[in-house]
Amino acid sequence: MIQLYNVFKTYDGNIPALVDISLLIKEQSFVFVTGASGAGKSTLLKLLFGWERFDSGQILVKGMNVGKIKKEKLYLLRRHIGVVFQDYKLLPNKTVFENVAFAMEAIGASSRSMRYKTSDALKSVGLFKKRDSNPMQLSGGEQQRVAIARALVNNPAILLADEPTGNLDPDISLEILKLFEMANQQGMTVVFATHNHELVRHANYPFIILDKGNVVRP
Amino acid sequence: MFYSKHLNKALDNLKSNPQTSLISVSTFAAAFCILGLFMVLYVNLDSLLSTWSRQVQIIVYLKDDLKNPQRKTLEALFAKNPQISSVEYVSRQAAWENFKNTFSAETEFLQSLDFNPLPASYNLRFKPGPNRVENIRLFAETLGKKSEVESLEYGEKWISRFEKFMIFLRVFLLAVGGLLSLGLIFIISNTIKLSALARKNEIELMLMIGATHRYIKTPFLLEGALQGAAGAVLALLAAKGVHGYMSFQFSDSIAKIARDADFLFIGPSGILILFGVSVAVGWLGSYISINKVLNMENGS
Ligand SMILES: Nc1ncnc2c1ncn2[C@@H]1O[C@H](COP(=O)(O)OP(=O)(O)O)[C@@H](O)[C@H]1O
Ligand SMILES: [Mg+2]
Repeated sequence: MIQLYNVFKTYDGNIPALVDISLLIKEQSFVFVTGASGAGKSTLLKLLFGWERFDSGQILVKGMNVGKIKKEKLYLLRRHIGVVFQDYKLLPNKTVFENVAFAMEAIGASSRSMRYKTSDALKSVGLFKKRDSNPMQLSGGEQQRVAIARALVNNPAILLADEPTGNLDPDISLEILKLFEMANQQGMTVVFATHNHELVRHANYPFIILDKGNVVRP
Repeated sequence: MFYSKHLNKALDNLKSNPQTSLISVSTFAAAFCILGLFMVLYVNLDSLLSTWSRQVQIIVYLKDDLKNPQRKTLEALFAKNPQISSVEYVSRQAAWENFKNTFSAETEFLQSLDFNPLPASYNLRFKPGPNRVENIRLFAETLGKKSEVESLEYGEKWISRFEKFMIFLRVFLLAVGGLLSLGLIFIISNTIKLSALARKNEIELMLMIGATHRYIKTPFLLEGALQGAAGAVLALLAAKGVHGYMSFQFSDSIAKIARDADFLFIGPSGILILFGVSVAVGWLGSYISINKVLNMENGS
């Protein structure tokens, strides 16, 4: 469960990025966040995993009061959340397998569970065969699959996706969307930010429209 | 297990920017070599001092024509002092013989002297102990007031001056060590900062995934500590080399100055201190910079 109450966020010396946002995202739901570029989609996601701090209001994620978490303890929140970005954020000096295993390593998983869970995650995105490739040799769609496997591998309760199809062709975008739907069917809460109306229309999920930092009621 | 992973990461870091690592390790080595040589100097002066202060004695010159009872009162005074280990009486005659033996080359001049100018004396030696020099000084003051005593000779003045110098040297060593350490902390923190910035993406990812700060920092702390350790080992080897060269080249003059005492190297505790300080400095330098880099990240 994700709850926001009257959340305000303004970056230093800028116009407000989020204005009085209140919303509720139910557990195991799939929600789109849409809006034009600069509407505040990325900011909203960043607030949810504690990457940016907000000015006022309250955010609850998995029962945690995000604004109250000390920065040394933010890792506890983030271990419930997997994040996927438009630019994949893969490490070029590691193989596909190592990139996914990296997420388990970072939270101190044992090497044995690392081996089979990483393999499972790669299989679930259909890239197990390319596990020893360098990610830079893969297509954009494949790179995004690796990034999704990395987000899934720790089996988080929440999956945040910030324009994950922003750099991809429409048919590839649909394949990527399917992966998130699959994760959602397995019980993950998915928050999917995109300005691609095609995608939003294609899948019939609830959506939140942002406009200049305000929630617009559809 | 936990640390071996971090150690591998730290070694990877070291290898992935060899130039900066090499520069900081050799700066470490140079600085700690200098410090090590100062310590060698200190250790040797300190051992000289203790050799010399072990040899400190009071020579009590007596007034001429002292009668036996008067000597007895002095001897009673010596006997009452538990710190005195030996008392040796040197009569005027014996002193004169000694003197003539020592300066036998000048016999012509000595033979022309037809009287004995030397006083009789007592040589007092003292037991070793923590306050030896102070005890000697106090006892000498008491003796100096005695009417039987013509004059006193003892090494108190230069010994205590030497001791003051050693205190100064110790302070100086600490100051030099402190300054060098500060400089090194600065250098290491720069190296580690470069190393961390080269891994900025990785650090950011780890933060997003939910790695603890400790997990992120540890490889960098180890990297700094390793650089310190490597620098210390090199420094000690270099200092040992210089020490070996000097004891070989100047063995004669060293033997003369030190009266056959050995030219010492830093002892095990000194080596441990030097090593410990450099590891600590490496660790501290990287601690400062990795915290700075982490705080620069938003999300941390
Ligand atoms: N780090 C930042 N510093 C300053 N302003 C920012 C920063 N990130 C975003 N903004 C501003 O906040 C607003 C919302 O941006 P963002 O959340 O990135 O929108 P979106 O993801 O919908 O394109 C924009 O006006 C943007 O310029
Ligand atoms: Mg955005």
